[in-house]
Amino acid sequence: MTPHVFQNHWQSHWQNHWAQALLDPAGAPPPGVARQAGTAPDRRFAVYRNNVMVSLTGALAARFPAVKRIVGDEFFDSAARAFASKNPPRSPLMMTYGEEFPDFIARLDAASAVPYLADVARLEAARTRAYHADDAAPLTAADLAGVSQETLFDLRFVLHPSLELVASRFPVVTIWAMNAGDLELAEITDWSGETALIVRPALDVEVRRPPPGAAAFLASLAAGDRLGDAAAAALAQSADFDLAVNLAALFSGGLAIDAAAAKDDPQ
Amino acid sequence: MTTKTEITAATLAGALATALTLVSASAEMGGEKADKEKCYGVSLKGQNDCAAGAGTSCAGSSKVDYDGSIWKYVPKGTCTTIKTPNGVGSLKAVKS
Amino acid sequence: MRRARAPLQPSRLPPNVGLGFKPEHFAAIAAEPQPLGFFEVHAENYMGAGGVPHAQLARLREHYALSIHGVGLSIGSLEPLDRNHLARLKRLCDRYNPESVSEHLAWSSHGGAFYNDLLPLPYTDETLAAVISHVDEAQTALGRRILLENPATYVRFEESAIPETEFLAEAARASGCGLLLDVNNVFVCARNHAYDALAYLADFPIDEISEIHLAGHFETFEADGSPLLIDAHGCVVSGAVLDLYAGVIARAGPLPTLIEWDNNVPDWRTMRAQAAIVQERLDHATGGGAKSAA
Repeated sequence: MTPHVFQNHWQSHWQNHWAQALLDPAGAPPPGVARQAGTAPDRRFAVYRNNVMVSLTGALAARFPAVKRIVGDEFFDSAARAFASKNPPRSPLMMTYGEEFPDFIARLDAASAVPYLADVARLEAARTRAYHADDAAPLTAADLAGVSQETLFDLRFVLHPSLELVASRFPVVTIWAMNAGDLELAEITDWSGETALIVRPALDVEVRRPPPGAAAFLASLAAGDRLGDAAAAALAQSADFDLAVNLAALFSGGLAIDAAAAKDDPQ
Repeated sequence: MTTKTEITAATLAGALATALTLVSASAEMGGEKADKEKCYGVSLKGQNDCAAGAGTSCAGSSKVDYDGSIWKYVPKGTCTTIKTPNGVGSLKAVKS
Repeated sequence: MRRARAPLQPSRLPPNVGLGFKPEHFAAIAAEPQPLGFFEVHAENYMGAGGVPHAQLARLREHYALSIHGVGLSIGSLEPLDRNHLARLKRLCDRYNPESVSEHLAWSSHGGAFYNDLLPLPYTDETLAAVISHVDEAQTALGRRILLENPATYVRFEESAIPETEFLAEAARASGCGLLLDVNNVFVCARNHAYDALAYLADFPIDEISEIHLAGHFETFEADGSPLLIDAHGCVVSGAVLDLYAGVIARAGPLPTLIEWDNNVPDWRTMRAQAAIVQERLDHATGGGAKSAA
């Protein structure tokens, strides 16, 4: 190997050394960092290591504030560091960072005492997605005023791009609301599962607890099912499903942005 | 009770008519929430700001060395007050 | 040896003081006209599809000149630029038509990971070629002349063979880009690497500067007691940095000057007061000097 080739070979790897060293708190600083009088390369490089870790854990803390409140600062910070050192962002868009954090929490032995935590994280992740989702004007009641009775069954709705459902076997909406400042912290007596409906019809992100059958109704509509089939699916899930109230919510709640009657087989 | 109700065109039309009435009633009651502040929503901080600020914050060096023993902590936030059917949220002994 | 191509849209911010926009200040800013030259935003915070960020930025854009400052293109990397990210930056620029677009002499992505920090590079022929190529690619894609900012650094590389001022001058000459001089970064580096900030500024290609950045820094100490400055953007601009800035302006004439404040962000009144202090230095340094203000 000629010195020239070696030089290129070495230089093309300074970035690899840095990338490895940045996420490894125990490792040595990367080779090639200059020594200068009165300074320690370890100490200087630690500034970068610290910047990276503080900014990544800070992004997680900003995205998962209720999770942090539930487990406390120390536990959250250590979990966030463990996550960040194994899962650095794959995109320069930090608003998207932490998509896998809920699953990471679900696998965390140390969090097994708080089995609802991963679902709270899923709810919070969906809120950020909704915050940045595309803008779309909600469907108004007037848009449907002219639809004929014959085509109603075949109506397919386009739901708002921000809309997501997070189903949980825990009262996830109640727990989240208590830790997001929306509800007083209080004893939870009803431990039935809840589904969270997250939507941003205009600019503010809303988290709701949909009434009986509504989650099945919305999930069916989101899957592209016809209105008649979605209503049947909702009734199958809950006999208390109220179609009129749920249709009203599609408009006044800004859950739908478009509707068109389209049969599977053209007439 | 609407158990086992067949979803017919008439059922749907009736529900839609009721829905439209509900919507117009709530619009009259609530009015349009058009105040300016509301229009721009509750804003979150941009998460790409630390990069330009080099992220250390004025905490400076205090976080330079981070703790290797990640799991010496147990949850001890509000979970210690959330009573689950199996007892208080954090099942492990909580030192405060 | 520039290639023939369509002319690039130049940077054209007004030569006055601007502030970094923070969402928490939106209501105060919208309440009354602000005596500021421009606002600057970090590009990546506006790369979502919709919602509050775009509603606010669109409203700001109606009333103020805009600088889009990228923090994620990783121009100083040896790897190819992230084409998807460049396309996102182009969409953002097409949407808001900013007066200026800038990025950093730094890297932040490698091997598919993004480190969310502005990381340093050695100054060699190899990295210079990469930077020139990346700036050229970005400018061609955007149809704009971009500005490249000098970094704040905490280490130097043994193999660095080119002084930073020369590296920036050559990058600007070969790619046709402009430069963004961060005076706080100069001060921080000079202290951290034990050189003279005035000498650095004397060597800096002053005619290529199209914008200036100012910010506060944080002082900590090495084990032996020597100071280590951190570019923290979390407090007021120091007097020493303001003095350096006045010297630059006296030589270069009035330039668009941004104050960055990203951590411990104060209320809008404090931001305005800081802007007024810098505007006064800008006016004073150019008002009665050899070069008259435009």
